[in-house]
Amino acid sequence: MISGEEERMDAAGIPYMIRPGKGPEGSVLDLLGQLIGSGGADALLLPFRVPSGDSFAWIMFSDVSLLKDAVPFPATMPVQGGRALRSLTRKEKGKLRIIALMRPCEIRAGMELSKLGQVNTENLILASYDCPGAVKLEDYVADPVSCDSAHSEMRSRGEPSGNARSACSTCVDFSMVDADIHFGYFGIKDGGMLVLPGSPAGRALLEGLNLEEGRGLLPQWEAEISRLAERRAATREETFRETAERISGFDGMLATFSNCIGCHNCQSACPICYCRLCYFDSEVSRTDPEALITAAEKRGGISIPPDRIMFHTGRLAHMSLSCVSCGQCSDACPVSIPVADVFSFVAERTQRAFDYKSGRSDGEALPLRRFLKNELDGVHEMVKDAESEASPNE
Amino acid sequence: MNKEFVPRITSFLCKWCSYTGADLAGTSRLQYSASIIPIQVMCSSRVDPVFLLKAYLSGSDGVLLGGCHPGDCHYETGNYHTRRRFAIVREVFESLGLESDRLRLSWISASEGPKFARIANEFTEEIRLLGENPTRKSIFL
Repeated sequence: MISGEEERMDAAGIPYMIRPGKGPEGSVLDLLGQLIGSGGADALLLPFRVPSGDSFAWIMFSDVSLLKDAVPFPATMPVQGGRALRSLTRKEKGKLRIIALMRPCEIRAGMELSKLGQVNTENLILASYDCPGAVKLEDYVADPVSCDSAHSEMRSRGEPSGNARSACSTCVDFSMVDADIHFGYFGIKDGGMLVLPGSPAGRALLEGLNLEEGRGLLPQWEAEISRLAERRAATREETFRETAERISGFDGMLATFSNCIGCHNCQSACPICYCRLCYFDSEVSRTDPEALITAAEKRGGISIPPDRIMFHTGRLAHMSLSCVSCGQCSDACPVSIPVADVFSFVAERTQRAFDYKSGRSDGEALPLRRFLKNELDGVHEMVKDAESEASPNE
Repeated sequence: MNKEFVPRITSFLCKWCSYTGADLAGTSRLQYSASIIPIQVMCSSRVDPVFLLKAYLSGSDGVLLGGCHPGDCHYETGNYHTRRRFAIVREVFESLGLESDRLRLSWISASEGPKFARIANEFTEEIRLLGENPTRKSIFL
């Protein structure tokens, strides 16, 4: 369970460490096995390689003998972990106490879904890890073997490489997020690893394990994380600048989105778009044939079906406040539209407008769930003059 | 071809304040711009961001959203939510380099017939200066 900021700070007091030997992957699996063995949790939710060999699936299990087949740090992100958490807890808190090991953006999506009433974190233990980025699905399916080695190279350098998602190269939330436990291994020599509790629940679990105290490793890990964060922040700024230039104006929107085939994959893959019936899949969103004829007469012609631009701008208006910039949308796009670049760029701006940061567990309600009586003066600034004149009944 | 540009302004007006304000302007025989195309909604917060986008992308030169003054909402808090949603749409427009000045949110009470007429005229004039909505002639949408 995730608690407030103060508790988290208290809880984060005692970092543990695991000595080099098995490497981060082996150490994480060992530790998760111990947690199940000690009765700290009932089940695990981890990625496994699928039988076809070119993808991964979330598997929930309690039989520790399966643990050896789990892939704790998978190269790709076929199903966003936030969705997996929703499948498990969308009705009420889970019956089992489950430890889920996920990328930071997956946990952040889970936090947003929890605020949207789609995930219940009460019986979940969320574990995150230093994430170097995910390889594009397209590349991975084409050549899993070389992508796996590219990903292991990414893990050792702590940085996304050429076939990583663009969203990963621009990600600055790739390390500790508001999870119960965080595994930190960037910048730590010889495969040693930090185990950081992030909540009282996480701390209680780790206390039972006789782990070594790991304060000594903190400085090198922290230094590496901030070095990597700076580099990714620079890439982020550069990518956003290019994106802003490319999409600017209606013509820019057309240049970016006009090859959209209208499959709505970006929406189905998005962890935040949880609505059972999206407006854009509903009957009311379909333009009446008569109206198409009228529009064609007025414009001289019209693309059929229409509303490509409306779909994307509409999604931006609907979900950008909760966007965690995971990049699922770009990965799901069959015509390689840089959806995630646009969404991340706009999301940063809409979230900033409300002083909001998606994916936190600070108990702050979603911006659209609350309001202040006096705010956003600029929004109706155009009528300020009119406003200042006393209206007849005031 | 030389016809003077007459803007079309899709206006979502809440039943309790802004639409009644528009009615008052009419019954008071106030002259206001014929560019306003009113659509009555039960509350300004009924207007989903997509409605504003749909109006814009369908070629409306301006989109006006009218609600009760803050604190006066018939449903108590509807217009506070409207304000937040409208802010998001504006921010999306600005991020995408679209003309956010074509969108306007105004608080017009049921007794403010003259204010409605003035806003209608002012906004029409502003839109006239901005010119035609660039999406109007696009065959790709």
